[in-house]
Amino acid sequence: MEAAAKSKVLTVSQVNALVAGMLGEYFSDVWIEGEVSNFKAYPSGHLYFALKDEGSQLQAVCFRHSAQRLKFALDDGLQVVGHGRLEVYQPTGKYQVILDVIEPKGLGALQKAFEQLKRKLEGEGLFAAERKRPLPLLPRTVGIVTSPSGAAIHDMLRTLRLHKAKVDVVLFPAQVQGEGAAGQIAEGVATLCARSDIDVIIVGRGGGSIEDLWPFNEEIVARAISCARVPVISGVGHETDFTIADFVADVRAATPTAAAQLVARAWEELEDRLKDLAAQLLEATEQVLFEKQQAIDELARHRAFELMAAQLSALGHKVERMAGAVEGSVRTRLSDAVAVLTALDRRLNRQNPVARVLRQRVALQGLATRLEKPVVALLSRQSIRLGQAGAGLDALSPLASLGRGYSICLKPDGSVVSRTGQVRAGDDVRLRVSDGSFDCRVERTGNADTGGQ
Amino acid sequence: MAKNEKPIEAVDFEKALAELEGIVKQLEAGNLALEKSLALFERGVQLARACKEKLAEAELKVSQLVKDKQGLFSEEPFKEDKE
Repeated sequence: MEAAAKSKVLTVSQVNALVAGMLGEYFSDVWIEGEVSNFKAYPSGHLYFALKDEGSQLQAVCFRHSAQRLKFALDDGLQVVGHGRLEVYQPTGKYQVILDVIEPKGLGALQKAFEQLKRKLEGEGLFAAERKRPLPLLPRTVGIVTSPSGAAIHDMLRTLRLHKAKVDVVLFPAQVQGEGAAGQIAEGVATLCARSDIDVIIVGRGGGSIEDLWPFNEEIVARAISCARVPVISGVGHETDFTIADFVADVRAATPTAAAQLVARAWEELEDRLKDLAAQLLEATEQVLFEKQQAIDELARHRAFELMAAQLSALGHKVERMAGAVEGSVRTRLSDAVAVLTALDRRLNRQNPVARVLRQRVALQGLATRLEKPVVALLSRQSIRLGQAGAGLDALSPLASLGRGYSICLKPDGSVVSRTGQVRAGDDVRLRVSDGSFDCRVERTGNADTGGQ
Repeated sequence: MAKNEKPIEAVDFEKALAELEGIVKQLEAGNLALEKSLALFERGVQLARACKEKLAEAELKVSQLVKDKQGLFSEEPFKEDKE
């Protein structure tokens, strides 16, 4: 072939070597964007996959030392941006990209990793509310995993002292940021759990960037916390920082200080409870004493009455005995006095107004009867006399007598003179006769037989 | 002191508080003989005092774990850096 003769003929190996050299030179520092496909992680730690887009695909590999630094898990379908170099595998002439940095597209790598781990652990139920253990009522020994030189340990110790928490603190000094920090934190939790005296563990650190806080987002820490024998309090960063450790921990405290407060609170409450109990003890005892005092007072009053009654009756008996011993004269005098009293009593009884009224009524009735009898008798006599008078009225009429020559002598006052004694010499009298009258003067008076004197 | 009542020093803090609580409840319920009431009060005062003393005397003790060459941990006092 003429053409072949003109040009230099290369072997296959030469071509591949040339391509490898050229690609290596031109694509030694390249960023490639694509979707992960056909992902495969080998036991060696190397990751093999393809990066593809709508029209093409490119073999990719991430060797172990790079794969270990990945903050998130690669998987099919993930859109990533990778950094690396192109390499030709000369035995086959195929080329691939060797990636040393892979980041999820859109989200930051850490955020992606956070969400991936969160989803994974959540799926395992490690965040479940029923897994959360209550803090011990009275923690005595507190294990703390944090940096011995950070702000967090100072804040926590100051808080415990401030609230007078009577605890022993066992610090596991751990690096809390950078390479290896997560391993140390996990070791700290496990080491403290292995001790029998630890009641509660605080893992934490002060505020920082998401990279600073990153160890607390690593799975190894989450696993250590979820396996802890005692309740774990997380206190990482500031209030707005949420880490995987926070989700796995039994109690999430907003800050290291807040974590220490949770531990101290039990002691504060204890002190309050003790104060309350001491006050209640005093109050209850005072109440008991007050009630007893009242009961005693009542009893005392009661007994006093009994005593007094007994004393009185004893005195009575004594008087009786003394009375029995006195002379008969006294007794006589006494019985005399009794007689007087009886009489007086009777008199007194007579003065009783009811009895008096009754008695007076009886007396009145007697009087009435006594009065009635003569009146009735008198009345009946007079009625008889009236009857008689009516019958002999004509015969007795003085007018008839006057016709027969008799006259009636009347004194000036009209009274009838029937006896000599009624008049004296010189008295004027009027004589009444049958047809009229005339006036006379008495000369002298005398009896009927002796004539006038 | 009844035989079921331990000397205060040996009584656990929480147990002491629980006993004190029980004593207060008994006293508040009343219907106790005066002697018994006073005995309970005395015991309660002892418990409260012991607890208070324990609270007062306890100091925050801070130690840290240090790993030796064999990878074993030992405890030593933790000295805080001056703030």
